Amino acid sequence: MLLPWEYGVRNLFRRPIRSLLTLAALATVIMLVFLMVGFIRGLEQSLVISGDPDVVLVYSVNSEESLENSAIAARTPELLTSSLSGIVQRFGVTHISPEMYLAARVRTQDGHSGFGLVRGVKQTAPLVRRSVRLLEGQWPGPGEVMAGQLASTKLGTPVESLDIGRTIEMEGQAWRVSGTFAAGGSGYESELWCNLGDLQTAAKRQDLSLVAALLEPGASVAEIQLFCKQRNDLELRAIRETDYYASLQQYYRPVRMLAWVVVTLVAAAGVFAGMNMMYGAVSGRIRELAMLQAIGYRRRAILTSLVQEGVILAAAASLLAGAIALVFINGLAVRFTMGAFVLRVDGVAILIGCAVGLTIGVLGALPPALKALRQPVATALKAV
Amino acid sequence: MPVVELQDVCKSFRKGGEIIQPLRHVDLRIESGEFVSLMGPSGTGKSTLLNLVSGIDQVDSGRIVVDGTEVTTLSRSRLADWRARSIGYIFQTHQLIPVLTAYENVELPTLLLKQSATERHRRVDLALEAVGLADRAAHYPRQLSGGQEQRVGIARAIVSHPRVVVADEPTGSLDTDTSEQIQELLQRLNQELDITMLMVTHDADVAAIASRRLLLDHGKLLETDLNEPGKTAAG
Repeated sequence: MLLPWEYGVRNLFRRPIRSLLTLAALATVIMLVFLMVGFIRGLEQSLVISGDPDVVLVYSVNSEESLENSAIAARTPELLTSSLSGIVQRFGVTHISPEMYLAARVRTQDGHSGFGLVRGVKQTAPLVRRSVRLLEGQWPGPGEVMAGQLASTKLGTPVESLDIGRTIEMEGQAWRVSGTFAAGGSGYESELWCNLGDLQTAAKRQDLSLVAALLEPGASVAEIQLFCKQRNDLELRAIRETDYYASLQQYYRPVRMLAWVVVTLVAAAGVFAGMNMMYGAVSGRIRELAMLQAIGYRRRAILTSLVQEGVILAAAASLLAGAIALVFINGLAVRFTMGAFVLRVDGVAILIGCAVGLTIGVLGALPPALKALRQPVATALKAV
Repeated sequence: MPVVELQDVCKSFRKGGEIIQPLRHVDLRIESGEFVSLMGPSGTGKSTLLNLVSGIDQVDSGRIVVDGTEVTTLSRSRLADWRARSIGYIFQTHQLIPVLTAYENVELPTLLLKQSATERHRRVDLALEAVGLADRAAHYPRQLSGGQEQRVGIARAIVSHPRVVVADEPTGSLDTDTSEQIQELLQRLNQELDITMLMVTHDADVAAIASRRLLLDHGKLLETDLNEPGKTAAG
């Protein structure tokens, strides 16, 4: 038979300040867990969303996985269109997007500067990059750029610095911001898009970085890969976009592993905070716990009640941290090498955060409770 | 048939480097409804004997039978269940749980018994009434006087209708007036409810309320003659 629930709950109010401080410590720890899991989930989500299974990327075989380093012939789109049949065509328009992609130093009108990711595109780009939506303003005309909604985060500049009508400087040229776009949380949101020809002129290049092509339903990427092998003079490689971002996920694996290690260490710190509180709570109740045994309560019932106390406190801390995380952490933009992404405190993150919280409650309460109950009842009854 | 029977009980423990043997081949029989007080100088093993009878300590050798159950052979968890049914324990410092009301403190042992909530509440009400604290049921221990706290402790000991109530210095932390009130209460409960009581005390006046007085000296139990307090007989 267990001890009444009220016993565990009211015991938390015996030392209200101590309980409150422990609650704050646990909430902080669980918030850090939410932050780290939100980071991991945001990064993963950004890479997963960025890939479209119907899109094939064709880029230089010599560029490894980095599109910024890729340089392919400007005639590649025409060669692909004329040689392959699996690319979508609607109303006489082939859904193929020649693009120049580079990292460039960008200086904003208010004097801030940072490295931005710039993509030179043609009007066909939205036909292939189907997640891109213009939020406000218009498609960039000559000498104009369209900013992704996380582009300012990537640059490390204030959001207003990329407001419509503002001017930025890159590749030795001034550009006017014509609009803002979203891309469903994908990596494009941290980019600046401009006219391909303008960027080629500014960068003094005539080549392309890549060609993205939208495949017909059921079409195979193998046909394009075969084309790339046969035309080895072009030094091309083709990869499904989802596979490309999956390979990037591997690239960021150490980062994610490190984040999980931090989650583990932070959780361990939480266990120690919980343990410290429970040692304090239990050490003052040695005689009381012995009395409960003397009147017939089994050790397991008392142990359960003590664990219950730790779990109640940890659950309250989890709720508090969860609420704060949803309001202040969820959606927070973070800059990283590949661009920017938002921290995602989604269902999985909440589940992990709460599980860590409850684990802290159980593990923090068990050792002090076991220690207290190990004492012989007769001795514990005389404890001071 | 005795309610409590100790046969050839020995108990020793280590204190520092020394082995102390407070109980040496002790025999004792307590009949149903008896009120037995146990006296003796400090450190002679009075509380040890009480703890052995209530099953919260283990004998080195010998046999203890309480209400037909040989407690020396029970496992720890079975002992806990047995204590909940058969033993009431009154502590010197009442040992009430500060975060529970008087009512909830008294109710604690009844939660271990298989009975309906109605029956449980009836028993708690009766126990509080028996110790004269029905009007203090909703009070927390900090809102009660020392004597009232001990009364709640006594109510908690009798609420399960145990066959035996053991009391370890029940008046030890009370002033003289309150101590007398508690003594009267214990005597009344013994007589009116026919509860078998074994009480440890170092106070001869308190011991005098018992119907039978025992003295523990150098590990041996001696019977004290009620009519001639100075005279003892081997127990």
